[in-house]
Amino acid sequence: MLFDSPAYFLFLIPVVLLYWRLNHRAQNIFLLLASYFFYGWWDWRFLALMIGSTTVDFLVAQKIAPGRSDPDRKKWFIFSLILNFTILGIFKYFDFFAGSFVGALAKLGVHDLPLPLIRIILPPGISFYTFQEVAYIVDVYKGRIEPSKSFFEYGLFISLFPHLIAGPIQRPSHLLPQVQKPRTLDADRFFDGAMLIFSGLIRKCVIADNCAVLANAVFGGQFGPSNFWLVLLGTYAFTWQVYGDFSGYSDIARGSAQLLGFHFMVNFRQPFLANRLQDFWRRWHISLSTWLRDYLYFPLGGSAHGQWKTARNLFITMVLAGLWHGANWTFIIFGAIHGVVLAVERYFFPAKSRSVGPAIPENSVSFFSLWAQRILTFNVLGLSLAFFRATSLTSAVQLLAGLSNFTWHSEYASAFFMLCLFSIPLFLADLLLESSNHEYPFAASSYALRTSLAAAALIILAYFSGSNLNAFVYFQF
Amino acid sequence: MPLSISNSRSAPFFYAKVLAGICLVLIVAFEVSSTILLKHHSETFARVSRQYADAVRVRPAKAGEPISVLMVGNSLLLDGIDVDRFQKLTSSQLRIYPIFLEATGYYDWLYGLQRLFREGARPQVVVVGVGVNSFLANSVRQDYVPLMFFDARDTLSAASDLDMDRTAASNLLLAHSSVFWNTRSVIRSQILYHVIPHSKDLFLLLKRQPPIPPAPEFQAIADSRLRRLRELCEAHGARLVILVPPTPSSDDEVHQMTLAAQNAGVDALVPIPPAALSTRYYQPDELHLNSEGAKLFTSALATFLPHTLNRDSAATPN
Repeated sequence: MLFDSPAYFLFLIPVVLLYWRLNHRAQNIFLLLASYFFYGWWDWRFLALMIGSTTVDFLVAQKIAPGRSDPDRKKWFIFSLILNFTILGIFKYFDFFAGSFVGALAKLGVHDLPLPLIRIILPPGISFYTFQEVAYIVDVYKGRIEPSKSFFEYGLFISLFPHLIAGPIQRPSHLLPQVQKPRTLDADRFFDGAMLIFSGLIRKCVIADNCAVLANAVFGGQFGPSNFWLVLLGTYAFTWQVYGDFSGYSDIARGSAQLLGFHFMVNFRQPFLANRLQDFWRRWHISLSTWLRDYLYFPLGGSAHGQWKTARNLFITMVLAGLWHGANWTFIIFGAIHGVVLAVERYFFPAKSRSVGPAIPENSVSFFSLWAQRILTFNVLGLSLAFFRATSLTSAVQLLAGLSNFTWHSEYASAFFMLCLFSIPLFLADLLLESSNHEYPFAASSYALRTSLAAAALIILAYFSGSNLNAFVYFQF
Repeated sequence: MPLSISNSRSAPFFYAKVLAGICLVLIVAFEVSSTILLKHHSETFARVSRQYADAVRVRPAKAGEPISVLMVGNSLLLDGIDVDRFQKLTSSQLRIYPIFLEATGYYDWLYGLQRLFREGARPQVVVVGVGVNSFLANSVRQDYVPLMFFDARDTLSAASDLDMDRTAASNLLLAHSSVFWNTRSVIRSQILYHVIPHSKDLFLLLKRQPPIPPAPEFQAIADSRLRRLRELCEAHGARLVILVPPTPSSDDEVHQMTLAAQNAGVDALVPIPPAALSTRYYQPDELHLNSEGAKLFTSALATFLPHTLNRDSAATPN
């Protein structure tokens, strides 16, 4: 059930109405069943996989908390990590690594190696719920949280439908207590939830889906052979597409959660206003970047052991972040580019703080310098996203190889006009949000104004939504 | 015990209810306005509705009357055939009932024909001409078609044939039931046409021809589709002819298509081989015939279609 489909709202509205009529325990059981229904809507077979891995982690967590006398707690901990990553590895990466291995052997002259490929469909959301399960197991093992005593509560923490398919990846210490304690219906947050859903739908259906038309045409070769202008058009269009798509998804997820009395962490903070790539990752897919920081970068040593080890740790973290996005060399290269740029930035501009926010205080640089840095960061990101979007390394390189050809065709003007038509409103909204620090535009305005804006948003959605065939980009991860 | 909603009378709840009310009113307004726009301002809807209504009334010819031919296809035929001239050229032998809708393909017409037959259409010959790419495409047109050609059962069957997930299937079902949902992308395109300068050239580029699968897959897909169409037509007493309109550089595909048709026991009609037409017979999109190309194609079709039908008349039902 896609968040931007009528089916989702036919599901969400009765769930919300019925949910608030139940007591706390019944709410949790009802939401768990609703979440399983939501997940099973794609394919019931994958439900068994998710319930299975949830059950195993629930049981393992009982054995590994620091206070437990079980002498094998470390073994259970390692068993759980291996199990979670094995499931992810088999479903998501087996064919990729097996195929790459066979390809490498073929280049060495070894052919016809009988290596079986699984060719299995990727279970929806497996990367997201696996990371959430791993965070839970690590946190319980480290004694940061108590293991959940109720399967219903733990199961709901993993499978709560607004975050189940594409995050935001919820931390156990943030979401689990919300599952365990009774929730109250807060009128302001309920209204904000509805506004977030409208904001998300505009980002996804109007911005992302229309930019996708241009990005798909450039990457699909419909504009002809690559040149400088097409690289610009394709990468910019895809950059706005993926931002509108995923931030839109996150807004709808957060809004849906708020209708149910939950609070999800903010996942995007105006990422295209970042003045460094470091800053970008503090603003983009925050739930993933902080997960990687806490569960991978810090355990690797973080920045505590000198420049070279910091650079190494950044590189490893970003390559694995790239691989997390998909089983393809294009994602690995995307991650590697980010790893290298982050390491270089770190060398020249050492980080002063780990908190979320700009890498260097914006008031310490001039207006022009700040915007020059922002534009540079945006373009570095755009070029790296060429690898993210391309279906193969060859096609990414073929696209970028056109950078030295400046041939202009008249239809490009219309294409750039269309790109501006759909990306500039989001850019302006981001400027507004950056100065106001709100979660959606006009969040502090009167209820009457926000209600009117939501009604206007519905009219825009009705007549400017792109094709309904574009699934969310991050659903494939 | 249910949670008490202590602040249910507060301003946010009031406005949330107002917003829900506005949404409901807007949804009804979208539906009504889309219906009015479609029925009174859509040339495509008016043309196809008229053609569809005529096609439902088609019956086998009596002795001495021209053969009744239902001809269905997409923009390749809409732009490529001068229907009035074609009817004039063939009036002594054929009575043509055309239904041409842009961007349609195999599945649109499989279920479109099924419904036409169900509603009583009984042509002696069915000519399907959608081009090779569209014949092999795994899609249905999301606007117009679910509303005009499918009933609810067809919609679900098409979704199943296309292996759509439940979300896509429910969207298609909604496109069958709601005029607004069905036509919103058409309205969006019209708005963008007016907002974006020189958008016509851009939109031509953005339209993508479905890719042609490799040869073995091509034959397997084409064979099963041709047989299914043939069985459908034969079950209703009609003979199937596959018309392959010319598109540039499509000789190989056309050859493969005629081969597949031969294997499936279906007549394939190629009035003009693609190699015979230079680019001057095509529109700037290099896909559709221009008026000069249409003139040639119409004449060739008027010559070869009666010839094809007469060549093996013993095998012709009715």
